[in-house]
Amino acid sequence: MTAMPLLRAERVTLGYGGRAVVHEVSLDVTEGGVGLIGESGSGKTTLARAFLGLLTPMSGNIWYGNQTLKKADLRAFRRDVQPVFQAESLDPRMRVGASVAEALPRAERHRVPELLGQVGLDPELAGRRPHQLSGGQRQRVVIARALAVSPRLLILDEPTSALDVTVQARVLDLLAGLGTERLLITHNLAVVRRLCRTSHVMFAGRLVESGPTADLLARPAHPYTRALRDAVPRLGGAPPRARGRAEAAPAGSGCPFRPRCPLAVAACESAPEPRELDGRRVACHRAEDVLAAAVGEVS
Amino acid sequence: MIEVRDLRVRYGGRLAAHVPELDVAAGECVAIVGESGSGKSTTLLSLLGLLPDADVSGNVRVCGVDVLSASPRELRAVRGARAALVIQSPQAALSPATRLGVLMRRALRLHGRDAGERVMAEAVESVLLDPAILRRRPHEVSGGQAQRFAIALAIALGAEVILADEPTSALDVTVQAEVVGVLRRLREERGLALLLVSHDLALVSTIADRVLVMRDGEVVESGPAGRVLAEPSHPYTRELLEALP
Repeated sequence: MTAMPLLRAERVTLGYGGRAVVHEVSLDVTEGGVGLIGESGSGKTTLARAFLGLLTPMSGNIWYGNQTLKKADLRAFRRDVQPVFQAESLDPRMRVGASVAEALPRAERHRVPELLGQVGLDPELAGRRPHQLSGGQRQRVVIARALAVSPRLLILDEPTSALDVTVQARVLDLLAGLGTERLLITHNLAVVRRLCRTSHVMFAGRLVESGPTADLLARPAHPYTRALRDAVPRLGGAPPRARGRAEAAPAGSGCPFRPRCPLAVAACESAPEPRELDGRRVACHRAEDVLAAAVGEVS
Repeated sequence: MIEVRDLRVRYGGRLAAHVPELDVAAGECVAIVGESGSGKSTTLLSLLGLLPDADVSGNVRVCGVDVLSASPRELRAVRGARAALVIQSPQAALSPATRLGVLMRRALRLHGRDAGERVMAEAVESVLLDPAILRRRPHEVSGGQAQRFAIALAIALGAEVILADEPTSALDVTVQAEVVGVLRRLREERGLALLLVSHDLALVSTIADRVLVMRDGEVVESGPAGRVLAEPSHPYTRELLEALP
């Protein structure tokens, strides 16, 4: 892909109160959907906040086109890049039509019914308050609000994790059909498989593996990606496997996954540099072995 | 362990849950699946007499006790001891200032059980936790550790059956795999009976022997998990399965 990414993180370190929780992450938000996968505390939401300009990097830069966010025209940025949070972000006292109108320029407020229609909601619902709608309807209102300024990119943080499966399926259909670029933060591998051509896996504030989503899930090269994939229960499949320990203190130095990794060796006491391997970028001394095992599992 | 016949739970005349038949034997896992508002949690809570505002009728026996006609004293002897409830977010229900070991000791004494260090350590080890966790407070442990502690508490109290309401929905998948592994082991090694309420059909398919599918308060389909999830006969079960991403 030669086009300049809309957003790019360049060796970004992020933290709170001087303590870093995301370490030197480099990532391009490219076309076709980008997924950011990881478990609670991995730093994915912190990184999303930096991409939204809500958190200033301790070091490194967030690039918006050819400008860093520090120097960019924030009015244009806020039109181009819109967040979609969970449905609980709606003001409970406001009628949902007013919530959507609030996001529109004054001269365009007549577009509320059109926007509600675009997300598959009956425009009649504009007069309701959030608690009078179902969870799926509320999530659609949040998406309609984000679409009000015709953004180029939606940054979605767990957009469907609070929804029932049948409702989730319909919201995913809606997002897939929108034609807006998306950066999706989730712990749900099935959701990234559906919506993201490229995925990045985070562990303990570091990117451990990046590449085409289909390859990452079919043949993971990082033991953590493999542990995540194997822990997902499959219909009628074997019980989910806990590969290595699910919980352990992160290592002080060296590979952060080492305390949990079933393949850890002495070399893992030095931190692995990210490197190119088989069409993806992976930070693991034993990536070749993980990949070889994955090929064995498929055949 | 659990025997239910013609259970009806009503709120102000509105039928919230109706379960014609539900049995869970020792060492067995039965799951109730459905979406928000289907009546699955209402059913689970009614089995422990935990719905004081609801009108509950039918025949419910848990560990041999007739729940609907039992005295508060009889009910307490079953609830929390022989039949334990495990909820989605135990951290929210544990006193934040109290160490886990103190919480466990109090619960054991309340039910007149041996509250010695060894008993407590064994219970904690049975869910693959380090006994050192007993010195920590609820906010100092992770969600998965808190959930396994809740299961350890049930084991220490001598639970024969665990009623679990979305026990892993708030957990990451890798942590979920560990908690599910612990529950499977307890079933196999101690003959623990498990009634599981979940919205996750894929998870249920990997651990349940039998499944009840609920919608709008009614059981629309039930049977062996393999059969129901592989060859669903009700259109709603098919819809749930097709919606899996």
